Amino acid sequence: MTRSSGTNRQHRIFVRWICFLLMGAGLALCGCTSSNLTLARNAFYSGDVVMASQALDEPEKVGSRDRLLYFMEKGTILHYGGDYEGSAAIFLQAAALITEQEVISATRQAASMVTTEWLTKYKGEYVERLFVHTFQMMNYLLLGKHESALVEAKQALEVYDTYPEACDGDYFTRALIAHCFEALDEINGAYIEYKKLAELMGNPAPVADKLCQLANRLGFYDEVEHFSQFLPDKNEEKRERPIGERLIFLSRGRAPVKIPHDIILPESIRFSFSTYENRGGYFPGPEIPPLPGIGTRTRVTTDVGKVLRASLDQRLARIIAKETARVVAKEAIANNINDSGVESLVRIAFFLMEVPDTRCWETLPGTLTLIREPVFPGDNEQAADGPDNPDRFYRYFSIRN
Amino acid sequence: MFRNVFSKSMFFIFLTVLVASLAGCRATTRDYSPDDVVHYDEGYDFSDKNAIVDYLVSSLVSKPPLVSRYDRPVMIVYGVANRTSEHIETSGITDDIRMKILQSGKARFVNKVQRDNIAEETAYQYGGNVSPETRLQRARQIGAEYMLSGTLRSIKKKQPKQVRLKKKTLQYYSLTLELTDLQSGLIEWTDNAEIVRESSKPFIGW
Repeated sequence: MTRSSGTNRQHRIFVRWICFLLMGAGLALCGCTSSNLTLARNAFYSGDVVMASQALDEPEKVGSRDRLLYFMEKGTILHYGGDYEGSAAIFLQAAALITEQEVISATRQAASMVTTEWLTKYKGEYVERLFVHTFQMMNYLLLGKHESALVEAKQALEVYDTYPEACDGDYFTRALIAHCFEALDEINGAYIEYKKLAELMGNPAPVADKLCQLANRLGFYDEVEHFSQFLPDKNEEKRERPIGERLIFLSRGRAPVKIPHDIILPESIRFSFSTYENRGGYFPGPEIPPLPGIGTRTRVTTDVGKVLRASLDQRLARIIAKETARVVAKEAIANNINDSGVESLVRIAFFLMEVPDTRCWETLPGTLTLIREPVFPGDNEQAADGPDNPDRFYRYFSIRN
Repeated sequence: MFRNVFSKSMFFIFLTVLVASLAGCRATTRDYSPDDVVHYDEGYDFSDKNAIVDYLVSSLVSKPPLVSRYDRPVMIVYGVANRTSEHIETSGITDDIRMKILQSGKARFVNKVQRDNIAEETAYQYGGNVSPETRLQRARQIGAEYMLSGTLRSIKKKQPKQVRLKKKTLQYYSLTLELTDLQSGLIEWTDNAEIVRESSKPFIGW
């Protein structure tokens, strides 16, 4: 009798220790973003790209659960730092990791059902997966590697096809895809993408000139007639053939970040979720003066915040289902503990661990704009000079404020 | 206390799991012959490259115009354009095709890749350091008669969304190669090699 009661007491002490350990481990994982990621983001937004890049010099500095974020943030930092080759290499690893993480880890998912979502590997919002290819296209175009840019364009199209509701609001990427086809003279592919873009935007004006040019080359004369009514100045005097085209990738502001929200129900049920919220601040952005005598500058803009919200909304049903299942599982575990002391301890641990996953790609800009303008012989030739090979028809620039 | 909490059976289960997990951690290596056919997934790999090159070279050297030429006409390689959705180094394909045609003795090639280096070496030899007797002669390079070029294409089809444990992907590759007579601009020979492969990947892993 004495021995039995001693054993029970030892058992309770042991179970409490296990609870403490689990609680410690769970809490350590909750809401923790790697300090190196935070350091890199802060350095990037204070304008110190070198320090930002140094903070992420090795993948091991960021936990394996946040490895995709590491690649996304580092790739962006290198891109805006002008290291397009380095950025392309990093984003290639991001794309490979996205494919690898398509397989659902049964152990991590099971563990996250009774702990927290932070235990799972970050897979990226659907549109974030698209933006990996967007940056890759920009990198390869800036490097003059049009064939590689087209490879990325085709991979981006796969993402559009898989998650149309989440990604269709990203006009900038669609315009880049169309350009990648056009730059390699794949005019049928280019025409299809420009036409899809015109339909999605609801206003073909920004791409009407491209649609008219390509439809003319393909022999779709009824389409030429249709789209010519959207040209900015139909009466403009016909000029000689342009000697090139200037393309500016203009990134302005900061994309919204995920903010945690809670709903608390008695007795200790915590229902948590996250939403994208703006970070505020005014970003006037660099004004890009048009080349002298050019009246046909066109712009296609993506509101990054809008597409991120649409992307998160697409996962909403799945998030709510998992959150509900987790709350039910935690409640069932707590209710089945006979020791009131241990039960309280477990309830506190579960409550504190219920932290929404607020991980997101934080160095994304608020808007992405593609500016195009034709370059004609004469004074404009100098203004069109860029980092690209001067023999090429297209000159590319990437600018961020 | 240890015995009370972990019974013997629990201990054995723990030990079994530990041994099983460590057994999978041993690093291994294995050599393959380049001629072996090895595929890890539906993507393009070295086995595909070998199969494509063998088929196309065999077709090129056994059909007109090369089959009826015994004077080893001079050719130039203008590369294979990559129109797939994968980053594939197509120069590996053209290098192998050039090597196999050269080994067949049916044609010779102008070294387009080394043109800048040839020009640099020529300029050096005429720079005053090389004796006139050993110096190479200018305007003695051979002009190409044929141009070899091609396009690699792919079509990928994923199984539509439905309740299942595995995801199937169908991948199609096609490499079209053509030989153009540089004088007439006529395509004198063309052929293509195709590969179709299905792969399946589980949705759930450990």
